[in-house]
Parts: sequence; structure tokens; C-alpha cells
Amino acid sequence: MSDLGLVLAVAVITYATRLAFLVRPRQVPEGPLGRFLEVFPLALFIVIATSGLAAPAGEPAFTPALAAAVGGVAGGIVFRRNLWGVLGVGAIFFYLTRAVVQ
Amino acid sequence: MLDSVSFRKGLRDSVVILLAVGAFGVAYGVLAVDAGFPPWLATVSSVLIVSGAAQFTMIGLLSGGAVPVLLAATGLGLRHLPMSASLATAIGPQPLGRRLRLAWVLVDETFGLTVRAVAAGVEDIVAYKSAADLMLYSGWVAGTVFGAWFGGAIDPEAVGVGVMLPLLFLGLAAPMIQERRDWVVAASAVAAALLATLVLPPAWQITGAAALASLVGIGFGE
Repeated sequence: MSDLGLVLAVAVITYATRLAFLVRPRQVPEGPLGRFLEVFPLALFIVIATSGLAAPAGEPAFTPALAAAVGGVAGGIVFRRNLWGVLGVGAIFFYLTRAVVQ
Repeated sequence: MLDSVSFRKGLRDSVVILLAVGAFGVAYGVLAVDAGFPPWLATVSSVLIVSGAAQFTMIGLLSGGAVPVLLAATGLGLRHLPMSASLATAIGPQPLGRRLRLAWVLVDETFGLTVRAVAAGVEDIVAYKSAADLMLYSGWVAGTVFGAWFGGAIDPEAVGVGVMLPLLFLGLAAPMIQERRDWVVAASAVAAALLATLVLPPAWQITGAAALASLVGIGFGE
């Protein structure tokens, strides 16, 4: 398969998964599926954050990215879960730790 | 829609995403060309796929042929299913063309903002998400163009690009943690994410861990 063909195939797969439940109007699901959908976004975001910050190279490791996670949590507490507070304090922790370690 | 309050709020709220995703797009452009894509194909891939996770995985596995890339894209794409169902619930009945457009940029970042907007009671969720999509799409494609055509001298890791997006997700998750069930889900997600790095192939880690933590959340909702 050519590189262009591969790009097109990945685009089709990605779009198909995004479109799956949007192609026809749906009612709010009830029961276990409804509860699953309710908590899935939170679970997804925490998983992405954990993977990127606690295991940036694919396995758990102590790196400056972990300091960013600690800073992000601290920023979230100090600035009452404000997005910029999490980002700002997390970035400061990351850059300081990286400067000290390197 | 373009002059609605919700649309303007979406633009304002997604400035941070424009910056973070733009920087990530630069990184992708640089790495895609490094991996052997001509700059035009790196650009086309960002225009068509609009998925950092799928695209970084694609260029990472490029030397192994098409099969691993397609399997990985499928594994990564599975997380869109609950996102898609959740968004369908949030926007309610809409014309087909609008739903097709909203699905095009159904990515983690704009989905995160949209979930937050729904919780905050934003009036017109379609307008809000459209604005966030526009910002993300612009940043992602522009960043890729810059990285692919002019990025030879840039080292994205030197500025810590790889840390900013996970931090962004931490920031998006923070206000969603309100009650005891949310704390349990968050703690389960941390544990599942770490466990997944040990037992699952990379392309399935995010989807598998998020699904596992959500199942724990189902049990808590009884």
C-alpha cells in the first residue's frame, strides 16, 4: 500500500469510529450504558494525562513530566480546578525539574 | 451561528487548545517528514485524519507496513465510539450534514471542552463545538504545515511540547471531579493507565484503560 493509500485508510477508519453514533439521532441511553457514557470522558482524560505524564516513554518512569503532573494537581487545588492554573503550575514544575535534572 | 454567544465562547475557551495543538502539529510535521513523508503528504494527513494519536502512531509504525498501522488506528479509534454516543446525546436531533461535520473533528480536546460546556450549561452546544473544532483544526493543520515545510531546525521536545497536551487533559478533567464516584473513576483511571502500559500494546492502552475505569464507574452508579 502506498503512503497516500495508508493515509486515506487511516482517515476512513478514524472518521468511521467518530461517526458511528452520530449518523442517526439518538436518545439518551439509560442503564449501564448511560452510566458508562457519563463517566467515560473523565476516565479518558485521566488516562491520557496519566499515560503522557507518568509513562511518557511507554512505561512508568520518574521524569520531569511526572513533576508536571504533581504541579498540575497542585495547581488544580490552589486555583480551584481552573484550567489555566493546572497548565501554568504544571508547566512551571516541569521546566524547573528539567532544569535541575539536566 | 457565527455571531452567537456560544460560538464566541467556544473561540475564547479553545485558545489554549489552538496553542497546544498548534505546537503539537509542528512536532508532527517535523516527525512525519523525518519518517519519510513528503511535506505535502504530512499536510494532507493532518487535513484528512485530524487525530494526533492516530497520526503519530502511523508514522511511528510506518516502517512495519500497513497492517500494524491499520490495527493501531482501529484500536485508537475505538475510544471515539463512546465519545460519539455522548456527543449525540448532548446535541440532540440535528440535520445530517451538521452531524457529519461535527464528527469530522471529534477529537479528545474539543470533546473535553464540549463536555465541560454541557456541564456549565452553555446554550448552543453545536455552535460552541463548531468554534472549538475550527480553532483546533486551524492549529493542527497550520502547525503541521509549518513543521513539515520549515521545521527542520526545530526540536519540539526541547520546548516540552509532549508534556503540554497531557497537562491540558488533566486541566479538562479537574472540574469534572465532583462526587465520590468521580474520585473513584479518576483513581481507577490512573491505576488502569499504568497497568495498561505493562500489559497492553501501545495502540490499545488508552482505549482499554479508559473502558476499564468507566466500568468501575458503572458499578459505583448503582
